[in-house]
Amino acid sequence: MSATPAVSVNHLTKVFKGSLGKGAFRAVHDVSLTVNVGEVYGLIGPNGSGKSTTMKAILGLLKPTAGDTRIFGIPSTEVASRRSVGFLPENPYFYKHLNGRETLHFYGKLCGMGGEKLKSRAEEMLALTGLEDAATRRVGGYSKGMLQRLGLAQALIHEPQLLVLDEPTAGVDPSGSRIIRDLIIEFRTRGITVLVTSHLLEQMQEVCDRVGIMAHGRMVREGRVEDLIAVENQTEMVLENASPELLAKIDALVKAEGGGTRMLRSGHPRTTLERLFLEATNEPKKP
Amino acid sequence: MSEVLPISAAVSVAPVRFSPRRVWTLAYATMTQLMRMKILPFLLVFCVLVAAMGFGASVINPEQQLSQFKTMSLGVLQIFSIVFGIVATALLLPKDLEDRTLYTILSKPVPRFDYVLGKLLGVLMLIASGLVIIDAVLSLVLWLQQSALFEASLAQLHSDKQDSPEVVAQMREIVARQGLTWNLHWAVWAIFLKASVVTTVALLLSCIASSTLFTIVITFCITIIGHGHAMIREFVLQPHLGSTSVRITSFLLAAICPDLAQFDVVDSVANGEIVPLGAVYEMTGIAALYMTVYLFVTHLVFVEKEL
Repeated sequence: MSATPAVSVNHLTKVFKGSLGKGAFRAVHDVSLTVNVGEVYGLIGPNGSGKSTTMKAILGLLKPTAGDTRIFGIPSTEVASRRSVGFLPENPYFYKHLNGRETLHFYGKLCGMGGEKLKSRAEEMLALTGLEDAATRRVGGYSKGMLQRLGLAQALIHEPQLLVLDEPTAGVDPSGSRIIRDLIIEFRTRGITVLVTSHLLEQMQEVCDRVGIMAHGRMVREGRVEDLIAVENQTEMVLENASPELLAKIDALVKAEGGGTRMLRSGHPRTTLERLFLEATNEPKKP
Repeated sequence: MSEVLPISAAVSVAPVRFSPRRVWTLAYATMTQLMRMKILPFLLVFCVLVAAMGFGASVINPEQQLSQFKTMSLGVLQIFSIVFGIVATALLLPKDLEDRTLYTILSKPVPRFDYVLGKLLGVLMLIASGLVIIDAVLSLVLWLQQSALFEASLAQLHSDKQDSPEVVAQMREIVARQGLTWNLHWAVWAIFLKASVVTTVALLLSCIASSTLFTIVITFCITIIGHGHAMIREFVLQPHLGSTSVRITSFLLAAICPDLAQFDVVDSVANGEIVPLGAVYEMTGIAALYMTVYLFVTHLVFVEKEL
């Protein structure tokens, strides 16, 4: 059984030729990464770090200057590699004259789908992304969050095994962002591989199994999220309903242990601002 | 952790082939997208203009009046179709790129040739639909005008007591020749062929250029040069004329620009001359050849284009 990763990028280098009077620009320099089947991989980095260029090379929208990119073992330069990919670009726009359902039919037909299969798949995707009520509305009237969800639906229409998401929650309100992140987590449970970029690091931390950090066109860190963010010489313990006496005993025990062991802090864990926002905005309306 | 699938179980490695159905999907979407650009009111205005020209012009004599009507309406139709073809095509690709619609389309299993062909067909379908509607209006107006003019001339001949069967037959023949014949439809077909060639040139330029304005201006320049193609050819074939650099430039222009004068049958039709079927086939063949060559080059350019 051959082990074929969902995405493999091998020593990718991309140099953009300069226009008149301008020198060449190296956007990506010798980047290698592997996304295994079924995992959520986050590609993070500041603006201009080469994330989008790497993504475009993976999707075959750009040709590498050196190195190669493959999707399920097929070179990205071949159209066949796109059979198994769904892509959501950053801030997507669709043909404004089409409604949500027609948009999904359009993309489905491009993938060779048709008839009842396409119709039922489109309905399934509208339900999955919560756009059933907006299915007959023109896309021109969609909010940003709805456009992102429609983008996800079109990316999934042909049942791809790999999803490539470029800043999927950019500019979306916290509720919409939550829905999108929940969908990403659901994709993982369905066995769909996800390659995602975002500037919102907390969100990436929540949904990604592994991340790669890019800077100045190079991959500077890569690994499992837990491994990368763990502080090796510290241990966290969260107690529920602990009395002050018990806490004092624990503190005394730590002090008695001596050596290098120290209690750094104790107190009430804080909820996130996001969770607070969601709780507050989802409260039932008072009469 | 992740389960690794063997490649055969994961995805099909068979190449993605050209699909007429996919091209039709793209062409239909392009056509509806362009229709949203308020092209129909413009078409309506044109039809009203045609009708006004037909009935509003002062009566000179039946032959001249019908000829003048055809010259004016077909001339305007030619300009309309070329301008629409250039502007619509120049706008399409940059708009898809700006809206990132191009990314969502090309990240699907869609060969770039299918995309380019779909876009071109979408524009041509809309031009063809517009021309069919206008051709129908033009035919109706011409037929009505022809009938009215014949009746008026007959009445005039009758009052002048010159309505001998020979004179009436001659009058009928003149009006019929200048009136509604297949020639009018061939002229509209020639206009469509010319617009199609120019639209393909615009598509090629929009794949090369990053600016819509550049595409529009250069395509208009090529269209103008294309109408003087015979002159350039003649100049190149004369060995003693011009400097070497001017001759090389002229040769390049003749090689790059299409000979659009090949499709100029409007004057002949306006003069009541018959357009032979052989000439129609020839025009169609030339247009097909030009479009094939330009489309092939467009494909070569677009397949290498970095998005």
